[in-house]
Amino acid sequence: MTDDSDPPDPSGDDDYSDADPRVPDESAWPNRDLGFLGDDVYLGEEARVPAGFTAQPVPAAATSGAAELRELERRVAQNGTPVFPIDLRRRLPLAAVWRRWRALAMWGRSDVVDDFGRDPRATARWEWLFEFLYSRWFRVHAEGLDHIPDKGRALLVANHAGSLPYDSAMVMHAVRRDHPARRDVRPLVEDTVFHLPFLGPIMNRIGGVRADPENAERLLMNDELVAVFPEGEKGMGKLWKDRYRLQRFGRGGFVKLALRTGAPIIPVAVVGAEEAAPMLGKVTWFAKNIGIPWVPVTPTFPWLGPAGLLPLPSKWLVAFGAPIDLGTAHGAAAAEDRLLVNKLADQIRMRIQSMIDELLGRRRSPILSAFLG
Amino acid sequence: MLRSTTGRVVAVTGASTFLGGALLRRLEEDPTCARVLALDVRPPALAPGAKTQFVKIDLTQPTIDGELATLLDRHRIDTFVHGAFLSHPTHASEWAHELEDVGTMHVLNACAGVEPRRFVMISTTLVYGAHPKNPNFLTEDAELRGHRDSRFVNDKVRAERQVQRFAKEHPGVEVAILRFAPILGPTVSNMYTRFLSRPIAPVLLGHDPLMQFVHEQDAAFALQQAVDSHATGAFNIIGKGVLPYTTVLAMLGRVPLPMPKFVARSLTKVLWATQLVGSPPSFLDFLQYLCVAEGTRARRELGFTPQFSIQRTVLDFLGIAPEDGATDVSRAHA
Repeated sequence: MTDDSDPPDPSGDDDYSDADPRVPDESAWPNRDLGFLGDDVYLGEEARVPAGFTAQPVPAAATSGAAELRELERRVAQNGTPVFPIDLRRRLPLAAVWRRWRALAMWGRSDVVDDFGRDPRATARWEWLFEFLYSRWFRVHAEGLDHIPDKGRALLVANHAGSLPYDSAMVMHAVRRDHPARRDVRPLVEDTVFHLPFLGPIMNRIGGVRADPENAERLLMNDELVAVFPEGEKGMGKLWKDRYRLQRFGRGGFVKLALRTGAPIIPVAVVGAEEAAPMLGKVTWFAKNIGIPWVPVTPTFPWLGPAGLLPLPSKWLVAFGAPIDLGTAHGAAAAEDRLLVNKLADQIRMRIQSMIDELLGRRRSPILSAFLG
Repeated sequence: MLRSTTGRVVAVTGASTFLGGALLRRLEEDPTCARVLALDVRPPALAPGAKTQFVKIDLTQPTIDGELATLLDRHRIDTFVHGAFLSHPTHASEWAHELEDVGTMHVLNACAGVEPRRFVMISTTLVYGAHPKNPNFLTEDAELRGHRDSRFVNDKVRAERQVQRFAKEHPGVEVAILRFAPILGPTVSNMYTRFLSRPIAPVLLGHDPLMQFVHEQDAAFALQQAVDSHATGAFNIIGKGVLPYTTVLAMLGRVPLPMPKFVARSLTKVLWATQLVGSPPSFLDFLQYLCVAEGTRARRELGFTPQFSIQRTVLDFLGIAPEDGATDVSRAHA
């Protein structure tokens, strides 16, 4: 913009001596300060030769070559079929508008995501919400974080409750916040949640991965920390009367995974999620039509509308147990032994159940224990 | 015309497609290649070099397999590259079926008699289909789900099944199938480049799958590697990295138009029927579910490592140099 006031090149010998009809002459172009348009406004002044450019003498042969090249480039540009008339494009700051729009559209997202779709900038954007839920709303008390290795693979196996996966978010946040290595946990998310509109992509951007044995194995092979909830949908669909009673652990896929990859299993007990969204009943007859397995009935939902999906402020306790190394005890080949896999899965289920029972015994009141101490 | 008598002879169907043309240009400079037969219904856009000979072959003709067999026999074809596939869906679906599915049958009939040393087929990763059960990275062993009511994808799946059967029945022929991720770049034209060139792009409300592209130069290089190597089987040819769909749109500066799937489906149905958009309604599934492939096999066995990251590929498609994103955005308005 500033070289608008530069004097025209005195030599008259430059490549632009042939009048370009598309470049407005000085009289049509008032010589005023256009700085207010911003730096990236495209006014077509690239056809002007900068002051210092022709100062050095250029060998004649080279000049003609460059001129020829530039003329060719100009013709190529002219013969391209711009959808927008080229003259208009020179006068309107369209490129700048478009660039502004691009910058706006990239807000809150980064142009690099990892192989599984975790976006660091989007993660940072939701951090405040998790921090609020973690320290103010659920007042989470996490213990045994030192059982999680500083580096290398590990498989966190946790119980599951609540109609929305707050528990996986809290396990993730506990490790990122309070573990000395601030590791990122990659929770495996059931299909029903992963394909929910809005929630699924958000979970994916902040680190969630669709629960699939191939995905889990790939993550563990990359030495990541993976959290699984083997109860899956059954755990989320537990009624209030069944609270803190672990459901069946699927087909023991997580045991096979641990055996095959040699990752230690870290049992995790989460207490508090059941009270955050106590499910009194569930309606299934029309839920399938709108793509979800059931519609939960809680003390607040559907009575309060969407606000009823907010969790109740229960007191949470999260305990990470000592790692169980199945890989060295049984070897990778044991993954094919179905009886053994099922037995090991049940042992781990009992372990988590006893951890839950222990935590429940210690907690005084589901809602008020923060205030009671 | 000067023709060397030593070296291999390569036949390329679909010689005027993007990949076919790129291969012709690379073979022209390859000293181990004696002659190239460019087979297509129309001659390749660029003037053929000394090695290239154009033969008009229309795979939709019912007796073309005999003609093709005599041709292959007469020229003693060493490597056959089958790339006569459509790069964007067409309304002439009967013709597309004749060309891709039945045309592949003709090609394989001819090859069964002559048995070239090597057979390379050009396919796409779309044959895996966008499916809610897809893992984040599809390996070559994954099932070819194809796509419910998409003839564009299903014709390619059927063609690929035929080639796989051919590979089993003719163990003497080295058969390689290259499944290319959607190719993006400054010069290539296909369904994805057309789709992403429009200023407005539909977004399925609340869905944002990861997407994967391969740069046109990487794709051309991978095809050449596949023609030169001895590796057999299927190979995913992919670019470096993935990006969410809406991030791709944001990087391209397109305006996303979010709408629920049933609205998008009926809207696309109308627009497709009136030929106002280039992608049929079945394509919407690729905006909802993952269809991302994994490329370790190609790296290990073909020696192909993509040089372009997905960010670079997207910017190259726009015509923006990544070093200074503000120099040229003229293509952006297209």
